[in-house]
Amino acid sequence: MNCDDVRTRLDARLDGELAAGEIEAVDAHMEHCADCKALQERRIALHDALVREMPRFAAPDALRQELVRSAREAPKAHERATRRMSSGWGLALAASLAIVAVGSWQLATTRANGEMLTQTLLESHVRSLIGEHLTDVVSSDLHTVKPWFNGQLDFSPPVYDFAGRGYPLLGGRLEYVGERKVAALVYGRRKHVINVFLWPADAGMPQGPPAATRHGYHLLHWNGPDFTYWVVSDLGTAELQEFAGLLKDADLAAAAPPTSQ
Amino acid sequence: MIQSPPTRFEALVLPHLDAAYTLARYLMRDTHDAEDATQEAMLKALRNVDQCRGDDARPWLLAIVRNTCHTHLRRRGAGRGDVSFDEDLHTAEDDARRPDTALIRAADAEAVRRALDALPLGFREVVVLRELQGLSYREIAEIAEVPVGTVMSRLARARDRLEQLLGRMRGKEGWG
Repeated sequence: MNCDDVRTRLDARLDGELAAGEIEAVDAHMEHCADCKALQERRIALHDALVREMPRFAAPDALRQELVRSAREAPKAHERATRRMSSGWGLALAASLAIVAVGSWQLATTRANGEMLTQTLLESHVRSLIGEHLTDVVSSDLHTVKPWFNGQLDFSPPVYDFAGRGYPLLGGRLEYVGERKVAALVYGRRKHVINVFLWPADAGMPQGPPAATRHGYHLLHWNGPDFTYWVVSDLGTAELQEFAGLLKDADLAAAAPPTSQ
Repeated sequence: MIQSPPTRFEALVLPHLDAAYTLARYLMRDTHDAEDATQEAMLKALRNVDQCRGDDARPWLLAIVRNTCHTHLRRRGAGRGDVSFDEDLHTAEDDARRPDTALIRAADAEAVRRALDALPLGFREVVVLRELQGLSYREIAEIAEVPVGTVMSRLARARDRLEQLLGRMRGKEGWG
């Protein structure tokens, strides 16, 4: 073995990963090559320094507790979802959870059985957050987002900009809940994403619980004067409630005649 | 009795939370970003705990953490050169001067931190997985989604760079 051969094998040799048949040749070379020997010594010095000085970090307690909570909630959520599949709101919840990355909703309904469905929907929820199809129209300008829905939907969804309150508008997209086209508005909170699904309150759609948590994701649901809302995010419940409050207040302000009170 | 998935999660996966968070800290280089990535990765692991084979969930979990970190960094903008890097380019300067063994050995925590932070992501992750997590080349190859030979060459190049960075430092102004 020459120096190049040894250098490409030295790390594996020190890491205990070199094929047994090559160890002897590498070690023999070290005996009489000062350069390679010096490299080996630098490697050992580096390993010592790294092992000594690279810290390991303890995860925050709050995160650990949150995960334990999510883990214990999961089987209950699964049971409930399975039991409610036959009733209306199970479908509505499932649809909202999925943010219905359109294809996977179709897939999910045909596979409509317990764990597979829950798994698929939660998975597509996350996928929509990290994937490319978060928004069809990307804009923080409500006068861009709101008109975009014209012709796409049979209603005009209220769009607000809460940037001043720390919840900037990020954009919007079309979604399907079952056969119904609905609006999905995307808001941000620091690095968290909030999806707001809405459709006319008189659309005859199933209702759901006002609040739910599934695998660490929180859902809030309410009926405004004109629209039914579903809000989904991994944001903490306190902030999500605050955000829901902003939406409710904005709807009320928009519905009130300018002269009243 | 069959363990339900969350029990399995708590028994098998949750004990490696600190290892997951530590990897995220080194890859994201930011406490807040690391927390976000760790949380997302752990929830993914919870949902997919059925896919974890065997009794050691650590390599499986670290692969999820690593992928989540890469996704976050990519979303943030690959323009910073965090994710993709040209290995040849990054080795061009490495032969310049022979680093000093005694300096390397005496490196303090701050010097090590700065040297690691200066490594491209693809180099940094193999160093952390090997030196801190003590994983085998095969496990690292699976996590980093590269052949074993690439793990070996990246480790060698990463260590060359670290030696250059640590072995040339003279106090705080020895950089550059």
